[in-house]
Amino acid sequence: MRPSHARKSRFLEVRRSIPRRQAILSAIGIWIVFFGIWLIATEGGWVNELLVPSPLKVFQTTWNLFVDRGFIGDIGISVGRVVIAFAMAAALSVPLGVMMGSFPAIEAIFAPFVSAWRYLPAPSFIPILLMWFGTGEAPKLALLFLGVVFFLITLVMDHTKNVRMELIETALTLGANRSVTVMHVILPAVLPDIVTAMRQMLAVTWTYLVIAEIVASTTGIGAMMMRARRFLKTDEILSGIIVIGALGLLFDLLFKAAHRWLFPYLKESRG
Amino acid sequence: MSSTVLQLDRISKTFQLGGGRELTAVDRVSFEVEENAICVLLGPSGCGKSTVLRMIAGLETPTGGEITLGRHPVTGPGRDRGMVFQAYTSFDWLTVRRNVEFGMKINGVPAGERRERAEHFIRLVGLSKFLDAYPSQLSGGMRQRVAIARTLANGPELLLMDEPFGALDAETRWQMQELMADVAEQAKTGMVIVTHDIEEAIFLADKIVFLSAHPGRVKEEIVPAFKAGGRIRPKEELVQTPGYAELERKIMRLMREEGQHE
Repeated sequence: MRPSHARKSRFLEVRRSIPRRQAILSAIGIWIVFFGIWLIATEGGWVNELLVPSPLKVFQTTWNLFVDRGFIGDIGISVGRVVIAFAMAAALSVPLGVMMGSFPAIEAIFAPFVSAWRYLPAPSFIPILLMWFGTGEAPKLALLFLGVVFFLITLVMDHTKNVRMELIETALTLGANRSVTVMHVILPAVLPDIVTAMRQMLAVTWTYLVIAEIVASTTGIGAMMMRARRFLKTDEILSGIIVIGALGLLFDLLFKAAHRWLFPYLKESRG
Repeated sequence: MSSTVLQLDRISKTFQLGGGRELTAVDRVSFEVEENAICVLLGPSGCGKSTVLRMIAGLETPTGGEITLGRHPVTGPGRDRGMVFQAYTSFDWLTVRRNVEFGMKINGVPAGERRERAEHFIRLVGLSKFLDAYPSQLSGGMRQRVAIARTLANGPELLLMDEPFGALDAETRWQMQELMADVAEQAKTGMVIVTHDIEEAIFLADKIVFLSAHPGRVKEEIVPAFKAGGRIRPKEELVQTPGYAELERKIMRLMREEGQHE
C-alpha cells in the first residue's frame, strides 16, 4: 500500500467533490468557449451575418434596447404575466396538492382529472382561449396557468405523500386531530419540497410565456422578438433570448435564496 | 398494591391477503400492564410484537378482542398513549424546545406551563444545552431523546416504544436504556417497550411478555424476580447479579425454539 498522501490528484474522480475555485472556473470556462466559437464563426465570415450576428453586436443591441427603446417596459410586462399567472397556479395547486397527498379520498376525486389534463399540451388551447378571452391579458395568463397548474398539483401531491408516516402517527399519538396533523405536521414537513417544485415549474412558466407572446401579443419580450423578425433584426431576437435566459436564471437564484432563508434548519443536516 | 392501567383481552389481528387468503399476525394475545411499570414485549421477528404495540396505540384496529386503558376501550390514537418510534420523528422545522412543546401546544396547555414542563423534560433527558438547536444539528441518540421528552411532556398515561434504540450504536443504546430506567422512576409513567434485544428486556422490564411467532401468541410471561422489584444500575452490575444469567439463558432458549419453527 502506498501512503495516501502520495496519491496523485486527478482531474476525473468518481463522485468526489471539487474545490469551489475549480467549479467557478469551469462554469466561466464553458461560456467563454461558447462565445468564443460564436465570435470566431461570425468574425471569420463562416456564417451569414444577417442570420447570425456577432455576439458583440448582440450585446450592443441589448444595451441599445434598454437605453433607447424602452425594452424594460416589455420585460416588466412579461415578468408581470409570469408572476401573476404563476401565483394563481400556486394558489390553487399548493392547497389542493397537499389535500390530495394527505387524504386518499380527495386524491381519488381529483387525481384522475388532473392526470388527464397533464397530457393535453397547453398550447393546443390557444385558439379557443383567444376566442373566449379576446386579445387582452386574459388569454396569456390562462395559457400560462394551464401550462403549469396540473403539473404543480401533481408534484405537490407526490411530495406530500412522501411525508413519512411516522411523523403523522407521532402527531396522532400526541393528540392531534386531522386539521392539526395537516396544518402543523404535514404542511411544514413538505414545504421545502413545495418551494423546490415551484422553482422547477417557474422555469416552465417562462416557456409558455414566450409561446403566448409570440402567438398573440403586441407587448412583452416575445412580441418584441416577433417584431424584430419582421424587420430581419436577428440581433434583437437573440437579445430577447439572452434576456429571457438571464431572467430565468435570476428567478431561479431568487427561489434558491428564498429556500435557504425560509428553511434555515435544513442547512446543517447530518443526514 | 399496584393497579392495572392497560388490559389486553384476547387481541387478534388478521390481515387480508390477495386471493381470499389471510394471515393471522396476532392470535388471542392477553396481558396486563400495571401502573408505573415497564412491560417489555419480546420475541423473534414475525411474532407480531410491533403490531400489538400499534394496536395499543390505536394506529391499527384489532380484528378480535378488546384493549382497555383505565376504564375505557381503545378505539383510536390519543394523547393518553404516547408513542416513540424506531425511526426518527423529530419535527425538523422546530427547535428542540418547540418539538417538546408540540403536544402540549396542540392540546391547549397555557404557554407558561408549557415552557416549564418542556424545560423539565428536556433536562430529564439531558438536553438542556440544546434547547434552541434544530434536530438536524443533533445526533441520532439525541433525536430519540427529543422524541422521548416530547412524548413524556404531553403527560401520557402510557409510553409506548417500538424498538426505540434499534437504530443507535451500542454505547448510545446503553446510555438510553439507563436513561429510560431513570425516566420510569421519575416520570411515573407506565411503559410498553417492544424489543428483540434480550439484555435490554431484562434490564428494563418489570415484566416480560414473550411472544411466539407465526402467529404471534403469548408464550410466557416472565417477571425478572431476581431484580426484587427494583432496577439494577449500572448494567455491569445487573449482569453480575445472581439470577441474571439463568434468565438470559432461559429467554435465549425460548428464542431458539421459536426460530426452529420457521
